[in-house]
Amino acid sequence: MKTMTKKERVFSALNRQEVDRPPVANPTSVATVEMMDLVDAPFPEACRSAELNARLAATEITEFDFDSIAPYFSIIQESSAIGCDMQWEQKDNWPTVRMSNPIWQDASDVKVPKDFLEHKDTKVILDSIKILRKEFGNDIPIIGKTMGPWTLAYHVFGVEKFLLGTIDNPSETKLALEKLKEFTYLFGEAQIDAGADILTVPDHATGDLVSGQYYKTFLQDLHTEMAESFKVPLILHICGQTVDRMPAIAETGMHAFHFDSKNKPEDAMNAVQNKISLVGNINNPETLYSKNTTEVKKEVFDCLNAGVQIIAPECAIPLKTKSENLIAITEGVTDWLSEHNKN
Amino acid sequence: MFEHEGLSKEFEFVTKKSEIKHIGDSIKNTSIKMQTIAFALIQGDQDTVGQLTIECLEEGISANEILDNGLLNGMSIVGVKFRDNIIFVPEVLIAARAMKAGMTHIEPILSESGIEPQGKVLMGTVKGDLHDIGKNLCIMMLRGSGFTVYDLGVDTSPEDFADGFEEYQPDIIGMSALLTTTMPNMGRTIQYFEDVGLRDEVRLMVGGAPVTQEFADEMGADAYGDSAIDAVDKAKELILLLKDLRD
Ligand code: B12
Repeated sequence: MKTMTKKERVFSALNRQEVDRPPVANPTSVATVEMMDLVDAPFPEACRSAELNARLAATEITEFDFDSIAPYFSIIQESSAIGCDMQWEQKDNWPTVRMSNPIWQDASDVKVPKDFLEHKDTKVILDSIKILRKEFGNDIPIIGKTMGPWTLAYHVFGVEKFLLGTIDNPSETKLALEKLKEFTYLFGEAQIDAGADILTVPDHATGDLVSGQYYKTFLQDLHTEMAESFKVPLILHICGQTVDRMPAIAETGMHAFHFDSKNKPEDAMNAVQNKISLVGNINNPETLYSKNTTEVKKEVFDCLNAGVQIIAPECAIPLKTKSENLIAITEGVTDWLSEHNKN
Repeated sequence: MFEHEGLSKEFEFVTKKSEIKHIGDSIKNTSIKMQTIAFALIQGDQDTVGQLTIECLEEGISANEILDNGLLNGMSIVGVKFRDNIIFVPEVLIAARAMKAGMTHIEPILSESGIEPQGKVLMGTVKGDLHDIGKNLCIMMLRGSGFTVYDLGVDTSPEDFADGFEEYQPDIIGMSALLTTTMPNMGRTIQYFEDVGLRDEVRLMVGGAPVTQEFADEMGADAYGDSAIDAVDKAKELILLLKDLRD
């Protein structure tokens, strides 16, 4: 098969079509402290300045030779623009929302601020995408990210209050999600206009917190509507245990699902029945963070043997992940291919 | 099984041998009223739990009995169902709220009567980390098991833990971390307690999804727990050890 461009490779994998080699692409983030030092673009500034953001994001190609670039490293850019109480942290930690100090009480408070897309912390991603597009041309896919309404709800209402509401007043919860999805659309469309080829939609209705039935009751329809409305492929991201809800996720019409190492690759493949591509699921806190390249490659093999379409860490990688472990992901794919082609 | 049919059904979710014996024995000879409280708590029915607690107190049933035979039996089953993925966080949260509805009436009586708590625990999520759901569930189960718990919330620095220690004089400090970037802050807190000469005054317990027994040992923690139920077991063990030391 002729060599594909990175974009062709990723798009083929998203459509479950033949590829020259399985792509390696993390739809969440591969920012590391080592890379921050290398290109002098440390957190939190790299999350708040377009130029630094683009510089750090570019290392995904220049240093690791992955098949995509994902410039949105965290999950809080929209929440900052909405006005949440923020904690920007420092170089070796992710910025975050102070969820114990929520800004809204219920659905009636949900309003899109006038300057939502002009706010420093949303604009930074849009500008970074433009810079990257110019720098890398059209053959490298840029993966944008727009937060789903469920995760936004954690940020604006506080996790426990929001989850209690799902039992006390589920129709209020649905109304809140319906209003919050406006942010998902606005920021997603703006990133497409800026040049994003694909969007990740993180929406943490995880089995660590809620049942599979919750996914069906509150989110499946919203996600189906997103898959229909957005003109680019969508990758849903939910970490933690998700096998029980994968059959429902597979029905949404999204192109791919980014899954966590708490779910075995074969179980995940079985659950989705080839209706959606899978992206994942190299373990972060143990394998990438503290094990060696041999063990990383073993997990790459497990994914490829199961038929996972896009190889990736399970979520935003630990910031102190060693570069050699990231390079080992791509090498693992190469090793697997040469073994595979021999047989 | 038990007089209360609904509670007997709930008890079927308990499948570990040791727990069947432990929880089963605890429920077996309780009155139908206590079983109704336990059942209402599992359902997260705060109104019924509150109402029945008041009624029982008025009838002269002791606060201790309502706590042990009603509320705690319910909470034990909630803990097991959560650990075994039968229920999830929202269901645990409403059960906790129901527990609180009962405790509001019981707590003043218990503290007046001077009954000693199981022990005092100070809990917090370490610096730089804002994941608090797991920590909060541990707190609930600890309180539900008779511990007095002080909550320092999230993003707790070593200095904050030390200040909390000075203020509340807990027997145990529990630290939670969910991020590889913040796990080392557990070790830093333990080191800080060494540096300021407080290490021997308190037992340190750690937990959170990425934390392992191995990591806990390396940092010099006194105990590691992998679930809210385990947090209670480990806290009880530490208290026993402390008692031995003090005697
Ligand atoms: C829900 C969740 C969130 C919520 C948090 C809401 C909240 N207020 O807590 C949201 C969506 C906001 C969030 C944010 C982030 N998250 Co998060 N999150 C999770 C998720 C899906 C579940 C965690 C959870 O609550 N589980 C349920 C509870 C009940 O379980 P638990 O916490 O483990 O607690 C139990 C036991 O561990 C034990 N326990 C807990 N504490 C203690 C303490 C003691 C003393 C004892 C004895 C026992 C004990 O008892 C508990 C009850 O049984 C995990 C996935 C995973 N695989 O763990 C990721 C995960 C923890 N998150 C992760 C990441 C990367 C993030 C972000 C950095 C994302 C980003 N890119 O910005 C931010 C963090 C910001 C910050 N500085 O804190 C990664 C961390 C990986 C790493 N590299 O370290 C994980 C592991 C996902 C993954 N697979 O990679 N997250």
